[in-house]
Amino acid sequence: MATDVTVPTDLWEGDLEAVITNWLASDGQAVKQGALLAEIMVEKSQFEVTAPADGTLTITQAADAIVRKGDTIGRIG
Amino acid sequence: MLDQQTNERRLTIARAMAEAMAQEMRRDPSVFVMGEDIGPFGGIFGNTRGLIDEFGKDRVRDTPISETGFISAAVGAAMDGMRPVVELMFVDFFGVCFDAIYNQMAKNTYFSGGNSSVPMVLMTSTGGGYSDAGQHSQCLYGTFAHLPGMKVVSPSNAYDAKGLMTAAIREDNPVVYMYHKGLQGMGWLGTEPGATVHTPEEDYVVEIGKAKVVREGSDVTLVGLAMGVHNALKAADKLAEDGVSAEVVDLVSLVPLDRETVRASVAKTGRLIVVDEDYHSYGVTGEIIATVCEHDIGKLKAAPARVAFPDVPIPYARNMEQFCLPNADKIVAAYRAMQKAEG
Amino acid sequence: MKPTKDQLLWMYENMVLSRRFEEAIEKVYMEGKTPAFNMANGPIPGEMHLSNGQEPCAVGVCVHLTDEDIVTATHRPHHQAIAKGVDLRGMTAEIFGKSTGLSGGRGGHMHIFDADVNFSCSGIIGESCGPACGAALSRKMQGKPGVAVAFLGEGAANQGAFHEALNLAGVWKLPVVFVIEDNSWGISVPKSEATAVERNDVRAAGYGMPGHHIPGNDPEAIFDIAGQAIERARAGEGPTLIEIETYRLAGHFMGDAEQYRPEGEKDALFEKDPIPKMRARLLADGTATEAELDKIETAAGEKVEDAIGYARDSAPARDEDALTAVFV
Repeated sequence: MATDVTVPTDLWEGDLEAVITNWLASDGQAVKQGALLAEIMVEKSQFEVTAPADGTLTITQAADAIVRKGDTIGRIG
Repeated sequence: MLDQQTNERRLTIARAMAEAMAQEMRRDPSVFVMGEDIGPFGGIFGNTRGLIDEFGKDRVRDTPISETGFISAAVGAAMDGMRPVVELMFVDFFGVCFDAIYNQMAKNTYFSGGNSSVPMVLMTSTGGGYSDAGQHSQCLYGTFAHLPGMKVVSPSNAYDAKGLMTAAIREDNPVVYMYHKGLQGMGWLGTEPGATVHTPEEDYVVEIGKAKVVREGSDVTLVGLAMGVHNALKAADKLAEDGVSAEVVDLVSLVPLDRETVRASVAKTGRLIVVDEDYHSYGVTGEIIATVCEHDIGKLKAAPARVAFPDVPIPYARNMEQFCLPNADKIVAAYRAMQKAEG
Repeated sequence: MKPTKDQLLWMYENMVLSRRFEEAIEKVYMEGKTPAFNMANGPIPGEMHLSNGQEPCAVGVCVHLTDEDIVTATHRPHHQAIAKGVDLRGMTAEIFGKSTGLSGGRGGHMHIFDADVNFSCSGIIGESCGPACGAALSRKMQGKPGVAVAFLGEGAANQGAFHEALNLAGVWKLPVVFVIEDNSWGISVPKSEATAVERNDVRAAGYGMPGHHIPGNDPEAIFDIAGQAIERARAGEGPTLIEIETYRLAGHFMGDAEQYRPEGEKDALFEKDPIPKMRARLLADGTATEAELDKIETAAGEKVEDAIGYARDSAPARDEDALTAVFV
């Protein structure tokens, strides 16, 4: 069963949009739960997105994509 | 294959620097970090993020805005058995504290006849491209590399950034570690994706004083460091579209300078273009060209060229700054001009 | 020293002008920077250090100055420039990187130079102090009147340049006033963790000059002390050090998440915003009427709008001009 990689909802206040600045894992890569996957930025603050499960990463939102809290940016299957 | 993929971990240069410092701090209690906003803020450019949480305020010290004071203090601490890593937030700020750097840090070993050592790292941010004007955008590679007594490195990617930081901390001599803001992976400074690469978790060193051929080619050698490497790689892609095979040399270190790797590459290609974001005159570009010319000018099929920042303070207006900065198109144009001159 | 009504209204006017100006700049700065905050984008790229909250320091000092007097300013220079009478259109165009800017787009917001009113600044911390001493010395040597004021932040008072300049001013009895705007933060580092003394005015004793501390970010209290210091300098009695307790309502630079601030600090600061406070005070004691103050505010808004429009409509800096003006 695939698990969505989503933008955490508790990293910053308000409903500001964020940008994915760096994917720190590659599409198709095997990842372990808790591994650092991506950095996202709101204004000048950077936040981390980690892997919610073990499995193979599929990136659905590339670097530079604009995202909101709760958005799905990848999948682990 | 799967294992290899599992092991792949890409880091930004900012993270790679912090990881190397953390590992060395775990390994060696004499290592400590100090500078402005390097504590809870994590460094203006993200390179000390997380260190204060693990090592506390004693070993990760926010300093007053007193560069002469704390860089001199690092010199004294280094000579007394510690291994400080100090940050000069922008290299442009060297003006307020250069005595500590080039008269103390760089000369104490020599003046002690080699009886004292100054094992410290001075890390400092370089580079422009985001309209911060001439007191916050310089590279000054040539300025530091010119003065004897300090090793000088500048990584172009996270793998080298980590290995160079580890090597710099373990080095018994002072190392000036110059990191380019545009490569840090901080989105607000723009992000050069090519700098964020696979970086092993275990500690390792990248040898100081060893250049790397990062792309092989046969028609022309493009030499650069830090952001210049990425400009050269992009130029090499463009040249390849026209069937020109460019070799790209990443200097990695300026002191010691790996002249052999440069000469070997030019011996193969016969043509040399040096790329540098520092000022045109009296700098890295002239040094590299001299390195080749004074050795064996007969290997050159064309006069060498340089693509560097013109000899003016870095202007603020974006179009003015971009007009001055090196880029891939300027490198390609330099090659075309070279071809034309050859006839 | 007590300000006249005209002086009070001048101070209010310039505080409002500075605030409106920065509100406008803030808005334009964010153009092209949301949601992806890349400093290089938008009509105003680069770093942006706002001074809102610190206006009283600039107006309370500069109200005593003429165009002939000298001000050396900092990386956070807008309020100081406005209070010194720097050409607003030229400064705005400079911040937009336009050919009509004070420096033709070469300097930007941290490098505002207006020779007509003897204003200059530096993006390097502490570097306002030495040049102010030199300007003061020059006036003394030339037998010309004039006082130099160096503005700096409390963080800069830990720089060698500050201490060397103060000693120079003290030993040569120069007509210079050092004004520290203490906003309690050097980027993320609180004054208490960076400065060995609680108040910088005590450092004046080490350099043979009087030191004053002004609490409360109060324009009238600043008027009083700064007036005395400038008078003293004009009379040839030498330098003075003043530290003003002020508030930075914005971050260190635009985009600063300000996570280092203790919870609630920002709200408390906004409650102490000096502009509504002064307005209330001017009305309460009958110094001015609502209509008078409204007129000042409207005029300030129009002036800012004009300057922003001028900057937007101006031709961009010319690429090739990057290579000129290195030498005269």
